[in-house]
Amino acid sequence: MKQFEAEIISNRAVAPGWKELVLSWDKGAGQPEPGQFLSLRVSPRSDPLLRRPFAFSGMSEDGGRVSAIYQVRGPATSILAELAPGSAIDAIGPLGRGFPRPGPGELAILAAGGIGLGPVLFLAKSLAASTLVLGFREASALPRLDLPQGCVTCTDDGSSGFRGKPSEWISRNVPSGLVRLYGCGPAPMLAALAGLAAERSWASSLSAEQWMACGVGACMGCALRRSDGAGYLRACSDGPVFSADAGRPSPVDWNPRRPT
Amino acid sequence: MSADLSVRIGELVLPNPVGVASGTFGYGSEYEALVELGSLGALYTKAITLEPRPGNDVPRIVETPSGLLNSIGLANPGVEAFLTDKLPALLAYPCPVIVNVAGATEAEYLAVLQRIEATLGPQASGHPDGPGIVGYEVNVSCPNVKHGGLAFGTDPAQVERLTSSLRAVTKRCLIVKLTPNVADIGSIARAAEAGGADAVSCINTLVGMAIDVGQRRPRLATVTGGLSGPAILPVGVACVYKASRAVGIPVIGLGGIMGPEDALQYLLAGASAVQVGTGTFVDPTTPARVLAGIGSWMEANSVMRVADIRGMLR
Ligand SMILES: Cc1cc2nc3c(=O)[nH]c(=O)nc-3n(C[C@H](O)[C@H](O)[C@H](O)COP(=O)(O)OP(=O)(O)OC[C@H]3O[C@@H](n4cnc5c(N)ncnc54)[C@H](O)[C@@H]3O)c2cc1C
Ligand SMILES: Cc1cc2nc3c(=O)[nH]c(=O)nc-3n(C[C@H](O)[C@H](O)[C@H](O)COP(=O)(O)O)c2cc1C
Ligand code: FES
Repeated sequence: MKQFEAEIISNRAVAPGWKELVLSWDKGAGQPEPGQFLSLRVSPRSDPLLRRPFAFSGMSEDGGRVSAIYQVRGPATSILAELAPGSAIDAIGPLGRGFPRPGPGELAILAAGGIGLGPVLFLAKSLAASTLVLGFREASALPRLDLPQGCVTCTDDGSSGFRGKPSEWISRNVPSGLVRLYGCGPAPMLAALAGLAAERSWASSLSAEQWMACGVGACMGCALRRSDGAGYLRACSDGPVFSADAGRPSPVDWNPRRPT
Repeated sequence: MSADLSVRIGELVLPNPVGVASGTFGYGSEYEALVELGSLGALYTKAITLEPRPGNDVPRIVETPSGLLNSIGLANPGVEAFLTDKLPALLAYPCPVIVNVAGATEAEYLAVLQRIEATLGPQASGHPDGPGIVGYEVNVSCPNVKHGGLAFGTDPAQVERLTSSLRAVTKRCLIVKLTPNVADIGSIARAAEAGGADAVSCINTLVGMAIDVGQRRPRLATVTGGLSGPAILPVGVACVYKASRAVGIPVIGLGGIMGPEDALQYLLAGASAVQVGTGTFVDPTTPARVLAGIGSWMEANSVMRVADIRGMLR
């Protein structure tokens, strides 16, 4: 983990409202693993104030460049979207605990929903074999990226590929057996994947999202409810990836509970 | 001759005026890879309570204009786990460590302090100016838990009583951390002084609220939270100005420090030292930048000792 000035190599649109950021990477910071993230300070001004977390979506072969795919959502990502190649950005990383490798004999099934695509793509590139299932709202949201051959696309409206959610495709098409289900995406998707894995007795490794302030485990801001009811875990440093294995349930509760 | 950056608080001498604020630096290890601990004037730990506290429901943080609203709820492992799991590393750090203490009752604050004192031994580790646990910061100002001290922190009589009972059990530096959520911060500072505090620190966070209009819901699970960051800088500076004119003991200033200028405002307003909180989240080099900037400012203005800055406000 290191804080350094990264250079923006490219910052190109890959889908409506989505961009891919490529940054120079200081190898002294350590090699990023799939599921880990970096935090960026998009502007030296005080509004927006906090750094923003983004998952790695890939790394160049020599380790000198990393990428992230992001969705323009609010003030920080809007500023990020305007930054030109050649400009410098304050980066900290790699942060958090990434995806574990599949266990012996485990079939790797990877699911991504929406902008959860980045870390899942990175994981797919790092594994010799996997089944990659990507979910999008509609055909026009599909990103212009080199997606691995044979990956399954799902759309909510059926305008491209399978009509439905990645969890539904997996539920119908993946036979029972030794599986590790990997996933990143919106909370309802993670809940569906966790439920599916539990039902089929599959191992699972899912990446959580939570608001972050420090990103390094110091502030307790990014708390996620523990599944055993005994308090909270930190998304940034205990996660963001949390795994469940045979006989060991997920440490975090994936069911989104609305505040009452 | 190079400027004297050391700061005297009671018997204690801190190597420089820039510390890192409670709750924003964990127990040090979290930031070890990013921040040179040896360059910190003091490390204030996350609040320690008698029993472990899981903290508040989530979400706990939301960003507001130039500010951070949090409702962590004093999440901490409790004093016993603190002593076994955190203390050994804290004692080995190359900077002075000040333990932030919170409680729901006077007895609870007292028990936490007694437990730590019993483990450390009575003397400030033989070298009160060096590293080690050199003091306590009494949090009578957390707005995020029903019994987080704010009930104490708004009542001068209770602040004085709590301070004097804690004073009786430690010779280490005793700092009382004040809330800005009061009508007259000077009267609370005087109560801490009367109770025997070596210093007061201010400010803790301001009570704030943010609403998601689309959802028509409060953004924090606890509805209200504590506001920190640049948005509160002028409030903190005014509190330090008032508190430092109400008491003879040193005042430690914090709230919204992002760079040397902000820290110098606190020092000119009457602070003897400062702490950086939210500024470290935004940029972990903030404490070091603040310290370097204070040094350059002193040089440019021919100020020999940090302590002299206090008298320089025109
Ligand atoms: C570990 C981690 C990895 C992430 N990886 C990526 C990534 O690869 N690509 C990407 O586009 N985004 C990623 N995000 C989310 C990204 O950090 C936010 O989209 C970004 O901070 C938004 O900032 P903003 O100022 O543009 O928008 P804001 O105004 O801060 O947010 C706009 C909206 O986005 C949602 N949102 C923002 N931040 C979060 C959060 N932390 N948790 C849940 N909801 C949030 C909220 O609904 C909010 O109203 C990741 C978040 C985490 C915690
Ligand atoms: C996430 C967070 C946690 C905090 N926890 C504590 C705490 O445990 N004890 C305490 O006395 N103050 C706590 N504070 C208050 C800070 O120490 C500080 O008083 C306040 O944030 C103002 O300073 P800043 O604007 O530089 O952050 C916390 C603040 C934040 C943002
Ligand atoms: S963001 Fe601070 S502990 Fe995770």
